[in-house]
Amino acid sequence: MFLEIKNLKVESNGKKILKGVNLEIKKGDVQVLLGSNASGKSTLCHAILGNPKYKITSGQIFFQGKDITNFTPEKRVRLGLALSFQSPPAIKGVKTSKLLNKISVIKNSKLKGLEQIFNKHLLKRDVNLDFSGGEKKMSELIQILVLNPKLVIFDEVDSGLDLKKIRSVAEMIKKELIDKKISVLLVTHSGSILNFLKPNITNVMVSGKIVCRDKNYKKVLKTIKKYGYEKCKKCPFLAD
Amino acid sequence: MVMKNARNVHFWQIDNKVKNILKVNGVTLLTSPEAWEKFNWTRKYFSKRPKQGYFIWIKNQVNFPLFSCVSIAHKNISQKLQNLLIVEKGLKVSLQGSCNSLKKTLNGKHKANGKIILKQGSSLKYNHIHTWGEKDIVEPEYEFILEKNSKLDYTYKTLFTPKKLKINNSFNLSAGASCDIKMIANCVGTEMNIKDVLILKGKGSSGIINLRLVSGKKSKVLAHSQVIADSESKGHLDCQGLLTDKKSNISLIPELVCKNKLAQITHEASIGKISQEQLNYLRTRGLTEKQATNLIINGFLET
Repeated sequence: MFLEIKNLKVESNGKKILKGVNLEIKKGDVQVLLGSNASGKSTLCHAILGNPKYKITSGQIFFQGKDITNFTPEKRVRLGLALSFQSPPAIKGVKTSKLLNKISVIKNSKLKGLEQIFNKHLLKRDVNLDFSGGEKKMSELIQILVLNPKLVIFDEVDSGLDLKKIRSVAEMIKKELIDKKISVLLVTHSGSILNFLKPNITNVMVSGKIVCRDKNYKKVLKTIKKYGYEKCKKCPFLAD
Repeated sequence: MVMKNARNVHFWQIDNKVKNILKVNGVTLLTSPEAWEKFNWTRKYFSKRPKQGYFIWIKNQVNFPLFSCVSIAHKNISQKLQNLLIVEKGLKVSLQGSCNSLKKTLNGKHKANGKIILKQGSSLKYNHIHTWGEKDIVEPEYEFILEKNSKLDYTYKTLFTPKKLKINNSFNLSAGASCDIKMIANCVGTEMNIKDVLILKGKGSSGIINLRLVSGKKSKVLAHSQVIADSESKGHLDCQGLLTDKKSNISLIPELVCKNKLAQITHEASIGKISQEQLNYLRTRGLTEKQATNLIINGFLET
Protein backbone atom coordinates (compact mmCIF):
# COMPACT_ATOMS: atom_id res chain seq x y z
CA MET A 1 0.00 0.00 0.00
CA PHE A 2 1.25 3.49 -0.90
CA LEU A 3 -0.49 5.46 1.84
CA GLU A 4 -2.14 3.71 4.74
CA ILE A 5 -3.91 5.45 7.59
CA LYS A 6 -4.92 3.38 10.58
CA ASN A 7 -7.49 4.49 13.15
CA LEU A 8 -6.24 8.09 13.12
CA LYS A 9 -7.48 10.37 15.86
CA VAL A 10 -6.57 14.06 15.69
CA GLU A 11 -7.37 17.13 17.73
CA SER A 12 -6.73 20.82 17.31
CA ASN A 13 -6.93 23.43 20.09
CA GLY A 14 -8.23 20.71 22.41
CA LYS A 15 -11.10 19.82 20.10
CA LYS A 16 -11.38 16.24 18.85
CA ILE A 17 -11.81 16.40 15.08
CA LEU A 18 -10.82 13.06 13.58
CA LYS A 19 -12.31 10.15 15.47
CA GLY A 20 -10.64 7.12 13.98
CA VAL A 21 -9.96 7.49 10.25
CA ASN A 22 -8.93 4.53 8.10
CA LEU A 23 -7.80 5.13 4.52
CA GLU A 24 -5.75 3.28 1.95
CA ILE A 25 -4.37 4.71 -1.29
CA LYS A 26 -2.51 2.63 -3.88
CA LYS A 27 0.09 3.88 -6.35
CA GLY A 28 -1.63 5.55 -9.29
CA ASP A 29 -4.98 5.80 -7.50
CA VAL A 30 -7.25 8.77 -8.05
CA GLN A 31 -9.42 8.90 -4.98
CA VAL A 32 -11.87 11.47 -3.77
CA LEU A 33 -12.83 12.36 -0.23
CA LEU A 34 -16.26 13.94 -0.01
CA GLY A 35 -17.73 15.50 3.08
CA SER A 36 -19.72 18.45 4.32
CA ASN A 37 -18.10 21.57 5.75
CA ALA A 38 -16.41 20.96 9.12
CA SER A 39 -16.54 17.18 8.71
CA GLY A 40 -12.75 16.95 9.23
CA LYS A 41 -11.50 16.74 5.63
CA SER A 42 -8.96 19.57 5.87
CA THR A 43 -7.79 18.28 9.24
CA LEU A 44 -7.05 14.92 7.64
CA CYS A 45 -5.11 16.64 4.80
CA HIS A 46 -2.97 18.60 7.26
CA ALA A 47 -2.49 15.64 9.60
CA ILE A 48 -1.17 13.55 6.70
CA LEU A 49 1.36 16.32 5.93
CA GLY A 50 2.29 16.69 9.62
CA ASN A 51 1.09 20.24 10.24
CA PRO A 52 2.03 20.82 13.92
CA LYS A 53 -1.26 22.65 14.46
CA TYR A 54 -2.99 19.28 14.37
CA LYS A 55 -2.13 16.84 17.14
CA ILE A 56 -2.30 13.12 16.44
CA THR A 57 -3.55 11.52 19.65
CA SER A 58 -3.62 7.94 18.35
CA GLY A 59 -3.36 5.92 15.15
CA GLN A 60 -0.65 5.66 12.51
CA ILE A 61 0.20 6.94 9.04
CA PHE A 62 2.32 4.80 6.73
CA PHE A 63 3.80 6.03 3.44
CA GLN A 64 5.52 3.52 1.20
CA GLY A 65 5.70 1.14 4.15
CA LYS A 66 7.34 3.70 6.50
CA ASP A 67 5.63 4.84 9.67
CA ILE A 68 5.66 8.63 9.17
CA THR A 69 3.29 9.48 12.04
CA ASN A 70 5.94 11.46 13.90
CA PHE A 71 7.85 12.84 10.90
CA THR A 72 8.19 16.63 10.42
CA PRO A 73 6.26 18.14 7.47
CA GLU A 74 9.46 18.74 5.49
CA LYS A 75 10.54 15.12 5.93
CA ARG A 76 7.18 13.90 4.62
CA VAL A 77 7.46 16.26 1.65
CA ARG A 78 10.94 15.02 0.87
CA LEU A 79 9.52 11.47 0.82
CA GLY A 80 7.03 12.51 -1.87
CA LEU A 81 3.88 13.73 -0.14
CA ALA A 82 2.40 17.07 -1.19
CA LEU A 83 -0.60 19.16 -0.21
CA SER A 84 -2.35 21.85 -2.18
CA PHE A 85 -3.89 24.22 0.38
CA GLN A 86 -7.48 25.36 0.25
CA SER A 87 -6.53 28.82 1.53
CA PRO A 88 -2.77 29.28 1.30
CA PRO A 89 -1.41 32.17 3.37
CA ALA A 90 0.15 35.23 1.75
CA ILE A 91 3.83 35.80 2.45
CA LYS A 92 4.70 39.44 2.04
CA GLY A 93 8.08 40.23 0.53
CA VAL A 94 8.71 36.71 -0.77
CA LYS A 95 8.41 36.53 -4.54
CA THR A 96 6.69 33.43 -5.94
CA SER A 97 9.69 32.86 -8.21
CA LYS A 98 12.00 32.86 -5.16
CA LEU A 99 9.90 30.23 -3.38
CA LEU A 100 9.80 28.09 -6.53
CA ASN A 101 13.58 28.33 -6.81
CA LYS A 102 13.99 27.28 -3.17
CA ILE A 103 11.71 24.28 -3.69
CA SER A 104 13.51 23.26 -6.87
CA VAL A 105 16.86 23.36 -5.05
CA ILE A 106 15.53 21.30 -2.13
CA LYS A 107 13.88 18.73 -4.38
CA ASN A 108 16.49 18.92 -7.11
CA SER A 109 13.69 19.40 -9.62
CA LYS A 110 13.50 21.47 -12.78
CA LEU A 111 11.68 24.73 -13.13
CA LYS A 112 12.09 25.03 -16.85
CA GLY A 113 8.92 24.30 -18.73
CA LEU A 114 6.79 24.51 -15.63
CA GLU A 115 7.18 28.26 -15.58
CA GLN A 116 5.54 28.38 -18.97
CA ILE A 117 2.35 26.92 -17.54
CA PHE A 118 2.21 29.71 -15.03
CA ASN A 119 1.45 33.32 -15.75
CA LYS A 120 4.90 34.91 -15.67
CA HIS A 121 3.42 38.05 -14.16
CA LEU A 122 2.49 36.06 -11.03
CA LEU A 123 6.07 34.88 -10.56
CA LYS A 124 7.11 38.44 -9.80
CA ARG A 125 4.41 38.90 -7.19
CA ASP A 126 4.61 38.07 -3.49
CA VAL A 127 3.47 34.54 -2.65
CA ASN A 128 -0.36 34.46 -2.63
CA LEU A 129 -0.59 38.18 -1.87
CA ASP A 130 -3.79 39.59 -3.39
CA PHE A 131 -4.06 36.53 -5.65
CA SER A 132 -7.52 35.77 -7.00
CA GLY A 133 -9.02 32.36 -6.23
CA GLY A 134 -7.87 31.00 -9.59
CA GLU A 135 -4.36 32.44 -9.21
CA LYS A 136 -4.00 30.80 -5.80
CA LYS A 137 -4.97 27.41 -7.20
CA MET A 138 -2.51 27.79 -10.08
CA SER A 139 0.23 28.89 -7.72
CA GLU A 140 -0.41 25.86 -5.50
CA LEU A 141 -0.39 23.57 -8.52
CA ILE A 142 2.91 24.84 -9.88
CA GLN A 143 4.53 24.52 -6.46
CA ILE A 144 3.23 20.94 -6.25
CA LEU A 145 4.72 20.14 -9.66
CA VAL A 146 8.11 21.54 -8.66
CA LEU A 147 7.95 19.36 -5.53
CA ASN A 148 8.04 16.36 -7.87
CA PRO A 149 5.63 14.41 -5.66
CA LYS A 150 4.50 10.80 -5.51
CA LEU A 151 1.16 11.46 -3.87
CA VAL A 152 -0.73 14.75 -3.97
CA ILE A 153 -3.64 15.83 -1.79
CA PHE A 154 -5.78 18.64 -3.18
CA ASP A 155 -7.79 20.34 -0.47
CA GLU A 156 -10.89 21.87 -2.09
CA VAL A 157 -9.11 22.56 -5.36
CA ASP A 158 -12.47 23.38 -6.97
CA SER A 159 -13.73 25.86 -4.38
CA GLY A 160 -14.18 29.44 -5.50
CA LEU A 161 -13.58 28.65 -9.17
CA ASP A 162 -15.96 28.91 -12.09
CA LEU A 163 -16.54 25.87 -14.30
CA LYS A 164 -14.05 27.02 -16.94
CA LYS A 165 -11.29 27.40 -14.33
CA ILE A 166 -12.16 24.06 -12.74
CA ARG A 167 -11.79 22.45 -16.15
CA SER A 168 -8.38 23.98 -16.78
CA VAL A 169 -7.12 23.01 -13.28
CA ALA A 170 -8.49 19.49 -13.77
CA GLU A 171 -6.83 19.18 -17.18
CA MET A 172 -3.51 20.13 -15.69
CA ILE A 173 -3.88 17.68 -12.80
CA LYS A 174 -4.68 14.96 -15.32
CA LYS A 175 -1.84 15.77 -17.69
CA GLU A 176 0.89 16.47 -15.14
CA LEU A 177 -0.02 14.00 -12.40
CA ILE A 178 -2.65 11.36 -13.15
CA ASP A 179 -1.31 10.45 -16.61
CA LYS A 180 2.13 10.07 -14.99
CA LYS A 181 0.69 7.57 -12.47
CA ILE A 182 1.11 9.93 -9.53
CA SER A 183 -1.46 9.17 -6.84
CA VAL A 184 -4.05 11.86 -6.20
CA LEU A 185 -6.51 12.42 -3.37
CA LEU A 186 -9.11 15.04 -4.22
CA VAL A 187 -10.82 16.50 -1.19
CA THR A 188 -14.02 18.34 -1.99
CA HIS A 189 -17.42 19.11 -0.55
CA SER A 190 -19.06 20.13 -3.79
CA GLY A 191 -17.65 17.44 -6.05
CA SER A 192 -17.58 19.90 -9.00
CA ILE A 193 -14.16 18.72 -10.18
CA LEU A 194 -15.46 15.15 -10.56
CA ASN A 195 -17.13 16.25 -13.80
CA PHE A 196 -13.61 16.34 -15.23
CA LEU A 197 -11.61 13.85 -13.18
CA LYS A 198 -12.94 10.36 -12.63
CA PRO A 199 -11.86 8.88 -9.30
CA ASN A 200 -11.50 5.12 -8.99
CA ILE A 201 -12.48 5.24 -5.31
CA THR A 202 -14.83 7.62 -3.51
CA ASN A 203 -14.70 8.10 0.24
CA VAL A 204 -17.21 10.00 2.33
CA MET A 205 -16.35 11.64 5.63
CA VAL A 206 -18.96 12.49 8.22
CA SER A 207 -18.18 13.87 11.68
CA GLY A 208 -14.52 12.94 11.65
CA LYS A 209 -14.89 9.42 10.26
CA ILE A 210 -14.83 7.91 6.79
CA VAL A 211 -18.22 6.26 6.62
CA CYS A 212 -18.37 5.21 2.98
CA ARG A 213 -15.93 3.85 0.41
CA ASP A 214 -17.25 3.03 -3.04
CA LYS A 215 -15.94 2.59 -6.58
CA ASN A 216 -18.92 4.33 -8.18
CA TYR A 217 -18.53 8.05 -7.60
CA LYS A 218 -21.64 8.85 -9.61
CA LYS A 219 -23.80 6.74 -7.34
CA VAL A 220 -22.34 8.29 -4.20
CA LEU A 221 -22.69 11.83 -5.55
CA LYS A 222 -26.27 11.16 -6.58
CA THR A 223 -27.16 9.89 -3.12
CA ILE A 224 -25.51 12.87 -1.42
CA LYS A 225 -27.25 15.30 -3.77
CA LYS A 226 -30.60 13.73 -3.09
CA TYR A 227 -30.40 13.04 0.62
CA GLY A 228 -27.41 15.01 1.92
CA TYR A 229 -24.40 13.77 3.87
CA GLU A 230 -26.57 12.85 6.88
CA LYS A 231 -28.02 9.99 4.86
CA CYS A 232 -24.53 8.43 4.70
CA LYS A 233 -24.60 7.95 8.46
CA LYS A 234 -27.61 5.70 8.12
CA CYS A 235 -26.28 3.78 5.14
CA PRO A 236 -26.26 0.00 5.75
CA PHE A 237 -22.94 -0.32 3.90
CA LEU A 238 -20.85 1.76 6.31
CA ALA A 239 -17.16 1.53 5.61
CA ASP A 240 -16.18 0.54 9.14
CA MET B 1 30.37 41.84 2.39
CA VAL B 2 33.83 42.45 0.97
CA MET B 3 34.01 44.04 -2.43
CA LYS B 4 34.43 41.18 -4.84
CA ASN B 5 36.66 43.15 -7.13
CA ALA B 6 38.62 45.52 -4.90
CA ARG B 7 40.30 47.12 -7.90
CA ASN B 8 36.97 48.77 -8.73
CA VAL B 9 36.61 50.36 -5.31
CA HIS B 10 37.07 54.10 -5.53
CA PHE B 11 37.88 54.58 -1.87
CA TRP B 12 39.22 51.57 0.00
CA GLN B 13 40.35 51.59 3.63
CA ILE B 14 41.43 48.59 5.67
CA ASP B 15 41.78 49.05 9.44
CA ASN B 16 43.33 52.54 9.69
CA LYS B 17 45.14 52.62 6.38
CA VAL B 18 43.91 53.77 3.00
CA LYS B 19 44.58 50.92 0.63
CA ASN B 20 43.55 52.58 -2.59
CA ILE B 21 41.91 55.63 -4.13
CA LEU B 22 40.88 55.50 -7.77
CA LYS B 23 40.84 58.53 -10.03
CA VAL B 24 37.54 59.38 -11.67
CA ASN B 25 37.08 62.17 -14.20
CA GLY B 26 35.01 64.95 -12.76
CA VAL B 27 35.35 63.68 -9.21
CA THR B 28 37.79 64.77 -6.51
CA LEU B 29 38.54 61.81 -4.31
CA LEU B 30 40.79 62.38 -1.31
CA THR B 31 41.15 61.34 2.27
CA SER B 32 39.36 63.74 4.59
CA PRO B 33 42.63 64.97 6.19
CA GLU B 34 43.91 65.84 2.70
CA ALA B 35 40.69 67.68 1.89
CA TRP B 36 40.97 69.63 5.14
CA GLU B 37 44.43 70.80 4.11
CA LYS B 38 43.71 71.40 0.44
CA PHE B 39 40.26 73.03 0.55
CA ASN B 40 39.70 75.52 3.33
CA TRP B 41 35.99 75.64 2.60
CA THR B 42 35.56 72.01 3.64
CA ARG B 43 36.41 72.92 7.24
CA LYS B 44 32.87 74.21 7.88
CA TYR B 45 31.57 70.73 7.14
CA PHE B 46 33.94 68.80 9.39
CA SER B 47 33.16 69.05 13.09
CA LYS B 48 36.91 68.95 13.83
CA ARG B 49 40.17 68.22 11.98
CA PRO B 50 39.63 64.74 10.51
CA LYS B 51 42.11 61.93 11.07
CA GLN B 52 40.65 59.57 8.55
CA GLY B 53 37.69 59.16 6.22
CA TYR B 54 36.83 59.96 2.63
CA PHE B 55 36.13 63.16 0.78
CA ILE B 56 34.17 62.71 -2.44
CA TRP B 57 33.35 65.80 -4.43
CA ILE B 58 31.34 65.03 -7.53
CA LYS B 59 31.64 67.97 -9.91
CA ASN B 60 30.64 66.41 -13.22
CA GLN B 61 28.16 63.76 -14.25
CA VAL B 62 29.41 60.21 -13.54
CA ASN B 63 27.43 57.52 -15.27
CA PHE B 64 28.51 54.58 -13.16
CA PRO B 65 28.22 53.90 -9.42
CA LEU B 66 31.02 54.98 -7.13
CA PHE B 67 32.17 52.44 -4.56
CA SER B 68 33.55 53.00 -1.10
CA CYS B 69 34.69 50.23 1.18
CA VAL B 70 35.91 50.46 4.77
CA SER B 71 36.92 47.20 6.41
CA ILE B 72 38.22 45.96 9.72
CA ALA B 73 40.63 43.11 9.18
CA HIS B 74 42.49 42.77 12.47
CA LYS B 75 41.64 42.48 16.16
CA ASN B 76 40.87 45.47 18.40
CA ILE B 77 40.98 48.06 15.60
CA SER B 78 39.31 51.38 16.28
CA GLN B 79 38.23 53.46 13.28
CA LYS B 80 37.12 57.07 13.54
CA LEU B 81 36.07 58.29 10.15
CA GLN B 82 34.88 61.66 9.08
CA ASN B 83 33.35 61.49 5.63
CA LEU B 84 32.20 64.23 3.33
CA LEU B 85 30.30 63.71 0.10
CA ILE B 86 29.23 66.61 -2.08
CA VAL B 87 27.14 66.26 -5.22
CA GLU B 88 27.13 69.38 -7.35
CA LYS B 89 24.09 71.02 -8.90
CA GLY B 90 21.90 68.96 -11.22
CA LEU B 91 24.03 65.80 -11.18
CA LYS B 92 22.56 62.32 -10.84
CA VAL B 93 24.85 59.88 -9.13
CA SER B 94 24.89 56.54 -7.42
CA LEU B 95 27.06 55.40 -4.52
CA GLN B 96 27.60 51.94 -3.07
CA GLY B 97 29.11 52.08 0.38
CA SER B 98 30.24 49.04 2.26
CA CYS B 99 31.54 48.94 5.84
CA ASN B 100 32.43 45.59 7.32
CA SER B 101 34.46 43.29 9.50
CA LEU B 102 36.28 40.55 7.68
CA LYS B 103 35.87 38.12 10.59
CA LYS B 104 33.20 37.53 13.19
CA THR B 105 35.23 38.07 16.37
CA LEU B 106 37.59 41.01 15.79
CA ASN B 107 36.27 43.25 18.58
CA GLY B 108 36.41 46.19 16.22
CA LYS B 109 35.11 49.72 16.74
CA HIS B 110 33.81 51.66 13.78
CA LYS B 111 32.75 55.22 14.31
CA ALA B 112 31.75 57.21 11.25
CA ASN B 113 30.72 60.80 11.19
CA GLY B 114 29.57 62.10 7.87
CA LYS B 115 27.95 64.85 5.91
CA ILE B 116 26.29 64.34 2.59
CA ILE B 117 25.40 67.44 0.68
CA LEU B 118 23.16 67.39 -2.34
CA LYS B 119 23.33 70.69 -4.18
CA GLN B 120 20.34 72.16 -5.96
CA GLY B 121 18.53 69.77 -8.31
CA SER B 122 20.98 66.93 -7.80
CA SER B 123 20.04 63.35 -7.13
CA LEU B 124 21.79 60.60 -5.17
CA LYS B 125 21.00 56.92 -4.91
CA TYR B 126 23.01 55.60 -2.00
CA ASN B 127 23.12 51.94 -0.94
CA HIS B 128 24.90 51.65 2.36
CA ILE B 129 25.61 48.03 3.32
CA HIS B 130 27.00 46.98 6.70
CA THR B 131 28.30 43.53 7.62
CA TRP B 132 29.73 43.14 11.12
CA GLY B 133 31.13 40.63 13.52
CA GLU B 134 29.30 39.66 16.67
CA LYS B 135 31.69 41.54 19.00
CA ASP B 136 32.01 44.82 17.07
CA ILE B 137 30.75 48.21 18.16
CA VAL B 138 29.46 50.44 15.39
CA GLU B 139 28.33 54.05 15.52
CA PRO B 140 27.50 55.81 12.25
CA GLU B 141 26.22 59.35 12.42
CA TYR B 142 25.27 61.08 9.17
CA GLU B 143 23.77 64.40 8.31
CA PHE B 144 22.15 64.68 4.89
CA ILE B 145 21.64 68.20 3.61
CA LEU B 146 19.30 68.35 0.65
CA GLU B 147 19.29 71.66 -1.14
CA LYS B 148 16.43 72.94 -3.27
CA ASN B 149 14.77 70.32 -5.52
CA SER B 150 17.39 67.68 -4.79
CA LYS B 151 16.50 64.04 -4.35
CA LEU B 152 17.86 61.29 -2.12
CA ASP B 153 17.19 57.57 -2.26
CA TYR B 154 19.03 56.09 0.72
CA THR B 155 19.04 52.44 1.80
CA TYR B 156 20.94 51.34 4.87
CA LYS B 157 21.05 47.60 5.26
CA THR B 158 22.76 45.43 7.82
CA LEU B 159 22.07 41.71 7.75
CA PHE B 160 24.95 40.80 10.07
CA THR B 161 24.71 43.12 13.03
CA PRO B 162 27.42 43.95 15.58
CA LYS B 163 27.20 43.66 19.37
CA LYS B 164 26.24 47.33 19.62
CA LEU B 165 24.88 49.49 16.86
CA LYS B 166 24.08 53.12 17.39
CA ILE B 167 22.81 55.03 14.37
CA ASN B 168 22.07 58.72 14.24
CA ASN B 169 20.83 60.20 10.99
CA SER B 170 19.30 63.51 10.13
CA PHE B 171 17.81 64.53 6.81
CA ASN B 172 17.43 68.22 6.27
CA LEU B 173 15.25 69.11 3.27
CA SER B 174 15.02 72.47 1.53
CA ALA B 175 12.16 73.55 -0.74
CA GLY B 176 11.07 70.93 -3.28
CA ALA B 177 13.60 68.37 -2.04
CA SER B 178 12.53 64.79 -1.51
CA CYS B 179 13.90 61.67 0.10
CA ASP B 180 13.07 58.01 0.41
CA ILE B 181 14.87 56.40 3.35
CA LYS B 182 15.00 52.68 4.10
CA MET B 183 16.66 51.42 7.26
CA ILE B 184 16.89 47.63 7.29
CA ALA B 185 18.48 45.58 10.06
CA ASN B 186 18.33 41.93 11.01
CA CYS B 187 19.53 42.08 14.63
CA VAL B 188 21.01 38.93 16.09
CA GLY B 189 22.31 39.31 19.65
CA THR B 190 22.53 43.07 19.13
CA GLU B 191 21.81 46.14 21.17
CA MET B 192 20.58 48.59 18.56
CA ASN B 193 19.71 52.20 19.09
CA ILE B 194 18.62 54.13 16.04
CA LYS B 195 17.50 57.69 15.70
CA ASP B 196 16.34 59.23 12.43
CA VAL B 197 15.17 62.78 12.09
CA LEU B 198 13.53 64.06 8.95
CA ILE B 199 13.30 67.84 8.87
CA LEU B 200 10.98 69.20 6.22
CA LYS B 201 12.24 72.73 6.16
CA GLY B 202 11.35 73.97 2.73
CA LYS B 203 7.98 74.40 1.08
CA GLY B 204 7.00 71.44 -1.05
CA SER B 205 9.59 69.13 0.46
CA SER B 206 8.59 65.53 1.06
CA GLY B 207 10.09 62.45 2.62
CA ILE B 208 9.41 58.98 3.85
CA ILE B 209 11.31 56.86 6.34
CA ASN B 210 10.80 53.10 6.25
CA LEU B 211 12.13 51.03 9.13
CA ARG B 212 12.28 47.25 8.89
CA LEU B 213 13.85 45.88 12.02
CA VAL B 214 14.13 42.25 13.05
CA SER B 215 15.06 41.45 16.63
CA GLY B 216 16.26 37.96 17.53
CA LYS B 217 18.64 36.04 19.79
CA LYS B 218 18.41 38.34 22.80
CA SER B 219 18.51 41.58 20.79
CA LYS B 220 17.28 44.86 22.15
CA VAL B 221 16.13 47.33 19.54
CA LEU B 222 15.14 50.90 20.20
CA ALA B 223 14.14 53.02 17.22
CA HIS B 224 13.13 56.64 17.52
CA SER B 225 12.05 58.26 14.27
CA GLN B 226 10.96 61.83 14.00
CA VAL B 227 9.41 63.94 11.27
CA ILE B 228 9.46 67.67 11.81
CA ALA B 229 7.42 69.72 9.38
CA ASP B 230 8.47 73.36 9.41
CA SER B 231 6.68 74.29 6.21
CA GLU B 232 3.95 73.16 3.84
CA SER B 233 5.32 69.69 3.19
CA LYS B 234 4.58 65.97 3.28
CA GLY B 235 6.20 63.31 5.41
CA HIS B 236 5.54 59.75 6.44
CA LEU B 237 7.04 57.25 8.87
CA ASP B 238 6.55 53.55 8.31
CA CYS B 239 8.08 51.63 11.22
CA GLN B 240 7.77 47.87 11.34
CA GLY B 241 9.41 45.41 13.66
CA LEU B 242 9.52 41.64 13.74
CA LEU B 243 10.33 39.73 16.93
CA THR B 244 11.73 36.29 16.35
CA ASP B 245 12.28 35.02 19.89
CA LYS B 246 11.01 35.43 23.43
CA LYS B 247 14.16 36.98 24.85
CA SER B 248 14.36 39.92 22.42
CA ASN B 249 12.50 43.15 22.36
CA ILE B 250 11.71 46.09 20.09
CA SER B 251 10.62 49.59 21.00
CA LEU B 252 9.42 51.76 18.14
CA ILE B 253 8.85 55.45 18.81
CA PRO B 254 7.48 57.32 15.82
CA GLU B 255 7.16 61.02 16.51
CA LEU B 256 5.50 63.71 14.42
CA VAL B 257 6.15 67.39 15.03
CA CYS B 258 4.08 69.76 12.95
CA LYS B 259 4.86 73.45 12.85
CA ASN B 260 2.85 74.39 9.79
CA LYS B 261 -0.89 73.96 9.42
CA LEU B 262 -0.58 73.09 5.73
CA ALA B 263 1.83 70.22 6.31
CA GLN B 264 0.69 66.60 6.05
CA ILE B 265 2.64 64.21 8.19
CA THR B 266 1.58 60.69 9.05
CA HIS B 267 2.97 57.57 10.63
CA GLU B 268 2.30 53.87 11.04
CA ALA B 269 4.03 51.46 13.35
CA SER B 270 3.64 47.79 14.09
CA ILE B 271 5.54 44.96 15.72
CA GLY B 272 4.70 41.40 14.89
CA LYS B 273 6.01 37.89 15.22
CA ILE B 274 6.59 35.15 12.69
CA SER B 275 3.27 33.72 11.61
CA GLN B 276 2.91 30.05 12.50
CA GLU B 277 0.59 29.62 9.53
CA GLN B 278 3.25 30.89 7.09
CA LEU B 279 5.89 28.76 8.76
CA ASN B 280 3.81 25.58 8.51
CA TYR B 281 2.92 26.38 4.92
CA LEU B 282 6.56 26.71 3.89
CA ARG B 283 7.41 23.50 5.70
CA THR B 284 4.88 21.71 3.51
CA ARG B 285 6.99 22.99 0.63
CA GLY B 286 9.97 21.06 1.95
CA LEU B 287 11.71 23.91 3.80
CA THR B 288 13.05 23.20 7.28
CA GLU B 289 11.82 25.39 10.12
CA LYS B 290 15.06 27.40 9.96
CA GLN B 291 14.92 27.82 6.18
CA ALA B 292 11.28 28.88 6.39
CA THR B 293 12.03 31.38 9.18
CA ASN B 294 14.88 32.92 7.21
CA LEU B 295 12.72 33.22 4.10
CA ILE B 296 9.97 34.97 6.07
CA ILE B 297 12.48 37.33 7.73
CA ASN B 298 14.12 38.20 4.42
CA GLY B 299 10.67 38.78 2.94
CA PHE B 300 9.79 41.12 5.80
CA LEU B 301 13.01 43.08 5.28
CA GLU B 302 12.23 43.44 1.57
CA THR B 303 8.77 44.97 2.05
